[in-house]
Amino acid sequence: MPLWMVIARGPIFRFALAVFVLGLLRLLLLTLWGMLQSVRQAGDQRIPYGKLLRETLSWIFPFGQLVRTRRIYSFASFGMHLGILGAAIFLGNHLDILRANIGLAWPAIFKPVLDGLSVITILAGIYLLLYRIYVPSSQKLSKRMDYLLLILILNLFISGYVAGQTWNPIPYDGLMLFHTLNGLAIALLAPFTKIAHCVLFPLIRLGSEIAWRLTPQGGSRAVRTLYGPDGRRI
Amino acid sequence: MAVRTPLQTQSPPAVPEKVNQRFYHLEPAILPEVYHGDRVRAFLDAFAAILRHSNYRFAVEMYARTSSKCGNCAVSCQVYQATGDPKDVPCYRTNLLLDVYRRYFTPLGDLQGRLLHLEPLSEARIDEMAELFYRCTACRRCKLECPMGIDHGLMTHLGRYVLSQAGVAPKGLVVSVREQLEGKTANTSAIPFPALVDTLEFLSDEVRELKGAPAAFPIDVMDAEYIFYPAVSDYLMEADTLMGNAAVLQAAGISWTIGSGYFDGINYGLFYDDWVLERIIGKLVSEAQRLNASKILVGECGHAARSARQFVPTFGGDGVLPVVSIIELTYQLLREGRIQLDPDAITEKVTYHDPCNIARSGWIVDQPRHILRSFVHDFVEMNPHGAQNYCCGGGGGLVSLDETFDFRMQVAGKTKAEQIAASGAEIVATPCANCKKQLRELVDYYKLPVQIVGVHDLILRAIKL
Repeated sequence: MPLWMVIARGPIFRFALAVFVLGLLRLLLLTLWGMLQSVRQAGDQRIPYGKLLRETLSWIFPFGQLVRTRRIYSFASFGMHLGILGAAIFLGNHLDILRANIGLAWPAIFKPVLDGLSVITILAGIYLLLYRIYVPSSQKLSKRMDYLLLILILNLFISGYVAGQTWNPIPYDGLMLFHTLNGLAIALLAPFTKIAHCVLFPLIRLGSEIAWRLTPQGGSRAVRTLYGPDGRRI
Repeated sequence: MAVRTPLQTQSPPAVPEKVNQRFYHLEPAILPEVYHGDRVRAFLDAFAAILRHSNYRFAVEMYARTSSKCGNCAVSCQVYQATGDPKDVPCYRTNLLLDVYRRYFTPLGDLQGRLLHLEPLSEARIDEMAELFYRCTACRRCKLECPMGIDHGLMTHLGRYVLSQAGVAPKGLVVSVREQLEGKTANTSAIPFPALVDTLEFLSDEVRELKGAPAAFPIDVMDAEYIFYPAVSDYLMEADTLMGNAAVLQAAGISWTIGSGYFDGINYGLFYDDWVLERIIGKLVSEAQRLNASKILVGECGHAARSARQFVPTFGGDGVLPVVSIIELTYQLLREGRIQLDPDAITEKVTYHDPCNIARSGWIVDQPRHILRSFVHDFVEMNPHGAQNYCCGGGGGLVSLDETFDFRMQVAGKTKAEQIAASGAEIVATPCANCKKQLRELVDYYKLPVQIVGVHDLILRAIKL
């Protein structure tokens, strides 16, 4: 194994994993703490937890949502998420690296299944990228990071898929270097970009509901802060 | 009944350019001198103060971190559907505010701003926010479609709140609220109390004439079960709704009262400023406490019902009073057999429009349908309806801003007009003063042969006293 691969799969992997896990854990804890504080401050603490849980689950397992609007987009997005989760967590090669670094792993998914998921992810990723580029409403919303993350994911999956095929025409080591660098970049960016939704997603609907629970005298206090103790007139 | 022309063939004029530009006037900034008219600084200070004294911060933080900008909200937004302008996508609007938050209220944004010399917040960007936040009808339909669960209605609410505290708010709302909170009449329609008394006497006589028995409009009754707050504009424009309300309460023998000190259910604070919201809730509760009422009863008004129901527990002080909508109460009385409705009184085809403020959360969806189906033979639904309904196009306070008329007719209300035409109904019933005003203007504008009424207007025709 080339030296660069030993380093990338060893110390650099551990560093990226630490940033990924600790960064996201920090976000999760800060969000939970913020929620707890907000509920304490709220004048009305009756939160419909059951309803919010059902709504959240209906989007975590969005089978009923996929056919409602923008079907192609919805299936593409769902397929890409499925592929990312499947390949990142259940590919035998990834689990070998994980086991070697932290001594922890779980059963892998049969490779042909993951290959199929990878193809879905690649096709879905290309569709989503083209959608951002060519559909005006999506183009207007998109920023550099939105394109960059999609390109990193596409790089990751295309290189990973091609490297694993017998017909791969590209030198394996070079392709793996490209694959590894993209994977590490995604792990390092996760806590600082919208990838953070992988841990915050289950809390967003609850958070929105809590935000509507206003704080008693919150408006008056804001006005006093801005306009002094006498406040202001309408 | 006249043959209905499909709305599409009535060729409403194409959206003129002026509708896509600023369509309302802003209240001149009420800024302390320290700002020297610097709206950017005022906006950032207002944002900081609001984040400090509210529960919005962690939600904004969460949204800023996770907004994936997928644009799914666009498919559910009737404003975007009508204009096709990417700036009308709810997520675009939300991200205007999130960008300010990222840039000025997060360490990473601050660092990026300094290192990359990012363009600072500008007057032009504040103008864009003001424009777009008031093109939103705050119907919250987009929330149903956001995979992430971002509540763009919450962001519209927050954006307008920050703008308001930075001195930017529509004059129509500010003037009404000023009269309500600081004026002599203490209501948004500036109705003097003696005029209200005359109106109530007139309405009572009208009920006697219509139904052969009087319905009282009691004032300042101590220890009543309910203190009644309709949208005060009902006293000027919705006589049948009020008579229907009184007839139901009379028939069921409910103990209720109107307060002479405060009698306006309207709360524009929900549309643009939490400071206003909390002060109006304080007035509702104070009057209820003065008369020692047990419950607050809100008339046919979507935003009044939602603001009281949602925020009396927050701003109502100790011993929080329950808040009941007149629709809930009428439904309960009907189920208990305490009111009788003549099933032959209504012969027209009727449909029901769900006011967003009471339907989007699923709070009041089935009750009005049970009421209507109990005495209306020919009841049809619009599609979609209930929690998925389309806004009338005048929500979020827009209907109170005359400057928005073209926008409400040609853009925000277009989908609703199409729904009404497609339903084939002769009557649209809706329990909301704002929706009724907007829908009446819509059916006039599109020349639809439809009558717009309140739910209790129909009940008045059918109730046996």
